[in-house]
Amino acid sequence: MSIRKKGYSHWEGQLKESAFVAWFPLTRLGIKLAFQKRFFKLFFFSAFLPALIFLAGIYVSERMEDFRFMIQGQPSFLQITPNYFKAYFTNSFFLFLLVLMMIFVGSGLIADDLKFKALQLYFARPLRKVDYLLGKMATLGFFLLLLSLIPGWIFVLFKLVFAGNFAFLRSYPWLPLAVVAYSLILTLFFAIYTLTLSALSSNSRHVALMIFGIYLASDIIFGIFYQNFHHPYLALLSLKLNLQQVGAALFGEKLFYPVPWGWSLLLLIMLMGLGLAILNRRIRSVEVVK
Amino acid sequence: MTPAAKILDLQRIGYNYGQIKALSGVSITVEKGPVGLLGPNGAGKSTLLRLLLGFLTIQEGQGKVMGYDVAREKTRVRQIVGYMPEDESYVPGIDGVTLTALLGELSGMPRQEAMKRAHDVLFYVGLEESRYRRVESYSKGMRQRLKLAQALVHDPQLILLDEPTSGLDPQGREEILELITDISNHGVQVLVSSHILPDIEETCQEVIILNQGQVAAQGNLQELKKLNYNLYELKVAGEAAPFLAKLQERGCRWEQEEDLWKLYLPRELSPRVIFELAVEEKVQVRHLVKSQSRLEDLFAQVVGEEE
Repeated sequence: MSIRKKGYSHWEGQLKESAFVAWFPLTRLGIKLAFQKRFFKLFFFSAFLPALIFLAGIYVSERMEDFRFMIQGQPSFLQITPNYFKAYFTNSFFLFLLVLMMIFVGSGLIADDLKFKALQLYFARPLRKVDYLLGKMATLGFFLLLLSLIPGWIFVLFKLVFAGNFAFLRSYPWLPLAVVAYSLILTLFFAIYTLTLSALSSNSRHVALMIFGIYLASDIIFGIFYQNFHHPYLALLSLKLNLQQVGAALFGEKLFYPVPWGWSLLLLIMLMGLGLAILNRRIRSVEVVK
Repeated sequence: MTPAAKILDLQRIGYNYGQIKALSGVSITVEKGPVGLLGPNGAGKSTLLRLLLGFLTIQEGQGKVMGYDVAREKTRVRQIVGYMPEDESYVPGIDGVTLTALLGELSGMPRQEAMKRAHDVLFYVGLEESRYRRVESYSKGMRQRLKLAQALVHDPQLILLDEPTSGLDPQGREEILELITDISNHGVQVLVSSHILPDIEETCQEVIILNQGQVAAQGNLQELKKLNYNLYELKVAGEAAPFLAKLQERGCRWEQEEDLWKLYLPRELSPRVIFELAVEEKVQVRHLVKSQSRLEDLFAQVVGEEE
């Protein structure tokens, strides 16, 4: 007999008074929805290709004797130093993959909630604005960290395993921390960047264009100005170059442009602050027309 | 709910959208539901619901819902209140049962319990066949039911229903009203905001009428209908205008429905006056019947008075 025939029935359970991870169901939903998107699974697995190539490089670097017939001499790119990590984390293709990931996963995260007026459903629950944002941010963080932090640590781990000793870690004890720090900066920046743009429109296609367009346009504008003026500080105009500058500094390597990396970090922090302020303004349980 | 708490206890609530006064000095006390919230467009009904849920912050006065302070215990209020919004609102890309369970979980239910309860409430509102369909493929009527289901999933003590029958066909409307009555009969307090007066008449004993951001009338529906005036149906032959003008001078109001006049006679005025004025103005009274007032009549009277 259906519940309808016997009338309304009460639920006997007890609601949790305060959920520490009230945002987690939103994160789980975001991840589930991402995998439902067309071509996303193909893209998701392809995105690990650079990591696999770099991992293979670590293996080859420890088995030089076996691969002598393939490699002439001792190529510098197979020296596993912090520069190797910098090469993975700051290469343009890797950063572009992260942008594509954000387009797939993040363009509709808030835009769809605005379009289908889901915010009032969420905020009629004991869910705070910060929980909502954490839930959405954690969805993006899941994918971003999978492509940054996890491969970074796997590189360190496999280097130790393939070498059979801890010499690498003794030489660069700060490297795992640098991996964590840079992964977190990438994650925070791209998550806030994506959510901010997603909150600015209720059309996820427009948001996708903005995510891609602003990232690309900032680099093109830098290119145009740099060609004319050759001033290194123009690198601050490019989102990509700012991320690369910070990455190079954290891995203790030579900067891409002779500009203090602190400027790039400050600029990224300021952009994130601006993003959070916009999010705070745009995320409302109801549209209030004054 | 705190012991013996009132459903609503609002004291001099005020809210402005910039320069526009949406609510002013609204004091409402409701001991027990179901209660209907009525008012013309722009009366402040939606603003009031938003204030009760903490979507908007009270600017003046103070309010309690089920004994909890709306401003300071927002989270607690939202945990024990279910809300069915007027707008079409859903999360695309997921099925009905997933959406309902998700919102149950966000209310604080354990995941498995939320899923089980989501099935139950979807059965209850009549969406058992469609619960695995994506919500964007639902018809308008199904979405209304889904909104009711999500409002009930965490078994709230009070549900706020904003235009629950809007856009439904007569059969769908009747079913939703039956559900509301059933929910109310099972101990859940219900507040229905609607512009469809028969919906309120069918489901509520208590009514609050808002007009221009203020409470125009509040109380038991049957009692309110008796208040302040007697309603008569009147047909006259002859020049009605001067006759009606005289009645107006005596404090009467009227409305015309085809060839019938609905006359609101102040309680202290005897119906004999109608005949006296008819003689004076040389009109014939062809039909005079004391009418049973409906909610429309009450609404027309209080809103008319305010205007």
